[in-house]
Amino acid sequence: MGDAPILEARNLMKRFGAIAALDGLDFDLAAGESLAVFGPNGAGKTTLTRILTGSLRMTSGSLKIAGRDPRAHGIETQRIIGLISHQTFLYDDLTARQNLIFFARLYGLDDPPGKAVELLDSVRLLDRADDPARTFSRGMQQRLSLARCLIHDPRIVFLDEPFTGLDPYAAALLRATLERLRHEGRTLFLVTHNLAEGLELSDRWMILAAGKIRAQGESSGVDRTAFERSYFQHVGGPPAGGAHA
Amino acid sequence: MRGIKDVLTVSLLAVTAVLMFGAIYAVFVYVPDERIMGPVQRIFYFHVPSAIVTFFSVLVLLVGSIAYLWTRQPFWDNLSRAATEIGLLFCAVVLITGPIWAKKAWGVWWTWEARLTTTLVLWLILAACLMVRGYAENRDQGARLAAVLGIVAGLDVPIIYKAVDWWRGQHPVVFGPGKKNPLAPEMLHTFLFCLLVFFLLYALLLTLRTRVATLEDRARAISETLGGR
Amino acid sequence: MVASKDLQIEWRTLETLSSMVLFSLIVLVVFNFAFDLTTVRQIGVARLVPGVLWVTFSFSAIVGFARSFQIERHRDSLSALILAPVDRSVLFTGKALANFATVAALELLILPLSAVFFDYDLLAVLGPLVAVVLLHTLGLCELGTLFAAVAARVGRGEALLATLLFPVASPLFISAVKCTSGVLEGKPLSSVSNWMLVTAGFDVLYFLVAMLTFEYILED
Repeated sequence: MGDAPILEARNLMKRFGAIAALDGLDFDLAAGESLAVFGPNGAGKTTLTRILTGSLRMTSGSLKIAGRDPRAHGIETQRIIGLISHQTFLYDDLTARQNLIFFARLYGLDDPPGKAVELLDSVRLLDRADDPARTFSRGMQQRLSLARCLIHDPRIVFLDEPFTGLDPYAAALLRATLERLRHEGRTLFLVTHNLAEGLELSDRWMILAAGKIRAQGESSGVDRTAFERSYFQHVGGPPAGGAHA
Repeated sequence: MRGIKDVLTVSLLAVTAVLMFGAIYAVFVYVPDERIMGPVQRIFYFHVPSAIVTFFSVLVLLVGSIAYLWTRQPFWDNLSRAATEIGLLFCAVVLITGPIWAKKAWGVWWTWEARLTTTLVLWLILAACLMVRGYAENRDQGARLAAVLGIVAGLDVPIIYKAVDWWRGQHPVVFGPGKKNPLAPEMLHTFLFCLLVFFLLYALLLTLRTRVATLEDRARAISETLGGR
Repeated sequence: MVASKDLQIEWRTLETLSSMVLFSLIVLVVFNFAFDLTTVRQIGVARLVPGVLWVTFSFSAIVGFARSFQIERHRDSLSALILAPVDRSVLFTGKALANFATVAALELLILPLSAVFFDYDLLAVLGPLVAVVLLHTLGLCELGTLFAAVAARVGRGEALLATLLFPVASPLFISAVKCTSGVLEGKPLSSVSNWMLVTAGFDVLYFLVAMLTFEYILED
């Protein structure tokens, strides 16, 4: 854990036409820290994730990842980050093994076949290594996607609502994996709708609404119910008939 | 600044309008009938300048596209869009006046000879560029993709021109290297004058269209902000 | 290695290639109805076959070009490619190469068939014909990959691909037909060398243009 934050965002703006999807965001991520990002749909969470992972260009502002400007040092930055989204980014027609070997080669790793086996083992998919990804269940696909994301040993892992549509086994595996990543000292950026899970898996939290950071704070010792109430205060009203996570 | 822009635009409008009357006079009254072709030949004074302006517009499109990708300023995108649309317009003029002349001169409305074919292909490319803007999901994407196409198309046009020229070659060549100028002085004057007028007309239309696009941007920005999120 | 990934996918399913081959055959048959090709000998092989061949190749190739980006849409794997530490231009090269290999394979199958259908001696002109076909296919694939990427980014872009490709690639078609025609007449390659050189220049130019602009297409 270094002193300098591994990610620094200052006055991040993203405009689509006149609409400001992100309206001047300022935040830091310390190395090894885990940040949970909450917010309603349309708050700008996915836009933010895409800007941080380099697939969308911000309108203005400054961003530093590991001390470098991603625009000037795109390739080095891409090497240390990984992304898991609700889409798996996999090739249905290739086998699990072939998928991972491809990504290993894409990231310039040594011994792609060996790495593929290693990762397949870690997500308990080794027995299905030579089946096409098409034949996998949603949970298995997400596990394979996890393997894809981690194959190049990224320092920062971005997760955009990764629990969506997962069966309990897959969700438990994902949770366990995230805990392990935290222990390994990786930085996590977790966008999630699940308040309880997000709080459990993070060191700090942040609420995004309408393109602005409404609130942030430390996750440990937070009372779940009180947090839920304050969440609705920040984003504007709970649904009638009580709230549930 | 807006004051000066308006003044310049209005003066351009005034000058062009006046000169256009002058051009009509020149083409229909001043210039004598051509010996062989007769009155139809007068189309030459509209046809050729339109073609030259069209190619010029493609050049503007090329420059505007590169500038947009480099600077990301909306002005260059608006300029490129204007160049595409107005180029399409003048190109259509060429495609319509050509066959009118061709019917009289060669007896057929259309032949697949060099320049007509090139112009038709060019028209299709410009139309496709416009199509991309229409299909795009949002303004930024449309501008970016159209800019890439603008570069591809802009570079392609001279190649198409040369290729088609080698391949066919039936178009009457009036001015050429080593050819004595076949035009009577009045004709030359009229032609050059018309060329000037067409360029002014192009500049006027380009300016107006670009400004309209900029104003549209501003209007959209205001309505989006007011409409709320 | 992007290319080998694409080719691997293709090898597993052979979907694209088979549909392209089938489409080519259908087009050839349709030409027969459209032009009464039994009179080919009267018109002369060199005058008719090049046009038929290149129309067939290009329409079939479009199927392949569209597919090459469709496979990236299914699970949004294009995002993963953009995420990776590779230059965007490398992505272009990989895709274009894969497309080139696929279309070349198609041509390899169709050319002998065309020799049978139109009764000309393929072996006598094999060398020059292959050279002509490959050179022009390269340019076609470059533009095709570029425009397929553009079409893939916009909503209903399938129509866009053909609309863009044919006008822009028209110098390629002109040259392709001219060269193929010359070769089929038995003339040596040197007789159409100026066209070949222009096409080579075209290929190089658009390779550079594509490399430089590809990232702008992928960005969003």
